[in-house]
Amino acid sequence: MASSTTASNLTPPSLSLPPSQFARLQPHAYLLAHLSPPPASNQPSIRANGRAASQFRVTSANAGSLTHTNGSAVVRIGDTAAVCGVRAEILHTKDIASWSVLQASSEHNLDNSNYAGVSESQDEEDRGHIQDLNLLVPNLSLSTGCAPGFTPGAPPSALAQSLSHQLLSLLHTTRLVRAEDLRIWYQPPNLESEEFGNAGEGMDVDTEESGGPEREIKAFWVLYIDVMIISLAGNPFDAAWASVLAALRDTKLPRAWWDADNETVLCSDDVADARKLSLRGLPVASSFCSFEGDAAAGWRAVVIPSAEEQKQKKSAQRRWILADPDGYEEGLSQERASVVVDKENGKTVIVKMEKHGGWTVDSDDLRQLVDVSAQRWDEMKRILDQC
Amino acid sequence: MTALVLLPSDEVPQDHLPTNNSNPLRLGPGLRILSQPSSNGSNHVLTATQAGLLTTDAKRNTVSLLSFPNRRYIPTVNDFVIAQIHHSSVDFFHCMVTPHTAHALLGQLSFEGASKKTRPMLKQGELVYARVQSVGLGAGAEVELTCVNPATGKADGGLGPLTGGMVFDVSTGMAARLIRASSTSAENTDAIEGLAVLSELGKKLESLGGFEIAVGRNGKVWVDCSIAAESAVKVTVAIGRCLQETDQQNLHTHDQKKLVMKILRDMKLVS
Amino acid sequence: MVGPIASLSQLHRSDGSASYKCPATGYSILGAVNGPIELPARRDALKPEEATVEVFVKPGTTTGGVGERYIEGILRSVLGKIVLGREKGFPRRGVVITLAIVGGENVARGDNYLTILPALLHTGLLAMISASVPLSMTFSATLLGVTEDGDIVRDPSPTAAKAAVSLHVFAFSSKNHLLLNESEGRFGFDTWEYVRERALSICQGETTASADGDVAMGEGTASASVSGFIRETVEDQIYSDYAYKLDSI
Repeated sequence: MASSTTASNLTPPSLSLPPSQFARLQPHAYLLAHLSPPPASNQPSIRANGRAASQFRVTSANAGSLTHTNGSAVVRIGDTAAVCGVRAEILHTKDIASWSVLQASSEHNLDNSNYAGVSESQDEEDRGHIQDLNLLVPNLSLSTGCAPGFTPGAPPSALAQSLSHQLLSLLHTTRLVRAEDLRIWYQPPNLESEEFGNAGEGMDVDTEESGGPEREIKAFWVLYIDVMIISLAGNPFDAAWASVLAALRDTKLPRAWWDADNETVLCSDDVADARKLSLRGLPVASSFCSFEGDAAAGWRAVVIPSAEEQKQKKSAQRRWILADPDGYEEGLSQERASVVVDKENGKTVIVKMEKHGGWTVDSDDLRQLVDVSAQRWDEMKRILDQC
Repeated sequence: MTALVLLPSDEVPQDHLPTNNSNPLRLGPGLRILSQPSSNGSNHVLTATQAGLLTTDAKRNTVSLLSFPNRRYIPTVNDFVIAQIHHSSVDFFHCMVTPHTAHALLGQLSFEGASKKTRPMLKQGELVYARVQSVGLGAGAEVELTCVNPATGKADGGLGPLTGGMVFDVSTGMAARLIRASSTSAENTDAIEGLAVLSELGKKLESLGGFEIAVGRNGKVWVDCSIAAESAVKVTVAIGRCLQETDQQNLHTHDQKKLVMKILRDMKLVS
Repeated sequence: MVGPIASLSQLHRSDGSASYKCPATGYSILGAVNGPIELPARRDALKPEEATVEVFVKPGTTTGGVGERYIEGILRSVLGKIVLGREKGFPRRGVVITLAIVGGENVARGDNYLTILPALLHTGLLAMISASVPLSMTFSATLLGVTEDGDIVRDPSPTAAKAAVSLHVFAFSSKNHLLLNESEGRFGFDTWEYVRERALSICQGETTASADGDVAMGEGTASASVSGFIRETVEDQIYSDYAYKLDSI
């Protein structure tokens, strides 16, 4: 409500223009008027959508609503909604052309693990298997009608493609999914053993007998992670990533084993046997945009102050960093920043940080953004834990 | 004065500006004036928007930036260009000045003495030597060409359709050099703007009757020497090759002379 | 350490071009810029009063994929920001930048493009300078990796980059603004700030910009900086192009 009153205060009384029209005709002035209300009006600086600068939109998440997937989630951040489904398929190692080569090199790695820290080489191997074999396949589609301008039958837009890449890249760098969860092992029966009798069902992964033949990987689970943005109102990445995260947390893989007689992988249809993925951490993405008060800042014929001068005159400079921008705000700003953080034992770890498209955001601002993102992490954890 | 190369956002040092204050300072391409808000009003500084060699002309009180010669031509009023007719409509010929840009318009009647009856009937692919009349303002503006001097109604400086001959592509920097070289009085002969190629060609080909040349700012050179009768084509190609190689290899004057000799010998035009 | 090698205006048929080779990372890029040109079907561009900047990245041995779209978006936002799209002849037209990766290790699917980003940025900038596209400023970029021991490695090779705990790409404008930052891995903010300081000194040299914005070239380190390298590359080309003029002075 505050938004509409401010706007009507600013429009000249002779021209009775409703705020919605003002917003369309002069979007920049409209948002600026909200963020810098006249001192006399005693209005707080607030965004046109009624949020404070570092306030995120109301977020809700709901997991497991799609029954035909291994895991699924719907995440809604304001009017941006993303649906994510995870489908697991089996990839036989005999279908992987380069498998024998990879196998040799990974065995070499395993040898090293005896000397170096085990967990680290495990990490390396994870990266190798997941990345080299493309075990994670995210795809994002901006469906027709999610926002005006998305026409049916059009090829995937550059935005959809780049978001797909960002998801994949973040899945790889965070090493969210453990390769161990995706492996399907085969433990050959120990024929010399006396207790051969119970080996008929002895493909259980956990039974590892010393001295027996080495167990080997027979297949992998490949996770197809499909994200569909059903409504796009700005900031699609945060919503898409949150939906991927929620869907992976929800994902259950059936127990699978190699059947030596049939030379194939069999899965158990018992729900109780299925196990969840054990994810590494909980990286949460927060995006920001920088709104410049001077609409003509980009092309006004003035000397651009150098970074040092800019720092000194910070107070005079009029720009706002807006968290979780909606579509309207995104259209009015060029400079974007995105921070992905995780928390380990209460300590904030930055997983990814990026900013481009302008020169107003620098270290001091980014430090604040990391703090804001850390708060957002707590909020998102609560939401994701509840869903 | 040492040569000064500026990069975008570099300021032009005060001591490089011409000190002649009688005329207003004129800025060439690649420079813009910015105001620096400060406590006592605002100062103005000249900054570069392109990379280039700073040159000043004290006589005309101009300062400009010589940028890379390979750059694209941007139409500027009063420039001479060589345009090719793409198609014609009721009132205009639509001409190509630079590749991949919108067509420039040349009025059907903007020729010397043209009327509804006497206007030239140019067909697709024909060439005109024209002057940029206006470039318009703002986005999507169209470039207009003319083949007459609006003040006199005459086709000054060889404006009009170019018949015969052949056109060669050179860099815009080379075209500008050729124009500057031809506008400078040819008294001190040899190398004007570091170009000896034309005067050398002129000397060597005098016996064949000489040649005609028109240079368009848009990086086109039209060469014709129909006087040379049966060897006309050979001479034209030879001149074109001399110009293009001088341009592409950025030859020095003595190399240019060698090149002229070599090419003319190759094509058996001189012994 | 071997510095990068770059040269300008190598292609005759484009308006501007640059080739760039970084021996440390092994990447070699060829860039071409055409502009201002008419973009088909873009007459109703979003901002008709400005030039549209288009960036295309062509990988060396494979067809372009989603990774290229992503990196094109980043390059477009950085390079587009410094183009003065309202200068004469530019509004409503396009500046098309094509960057071909002609050498170096392939960037695998889903791999971060960080290792190649500085090379792409520099090639794009040099090609735009070569095409005389009006720019408001120049920039310089660098890639830094933080190893497990906390050491900072400049321009790590693709293998070293894989082993690094975090990777950072910074681009600073000629006036020391932070134009671009891409960081990945696991790191704290203090590490980031430390890396940023290091990156700034690599890009701009140890010099502090004097008040008039003119970087003092007196100190020996200035030419060893990345911005010094960009400046030298451009100067060399101008000097050779205008040799005829400079001889007469």
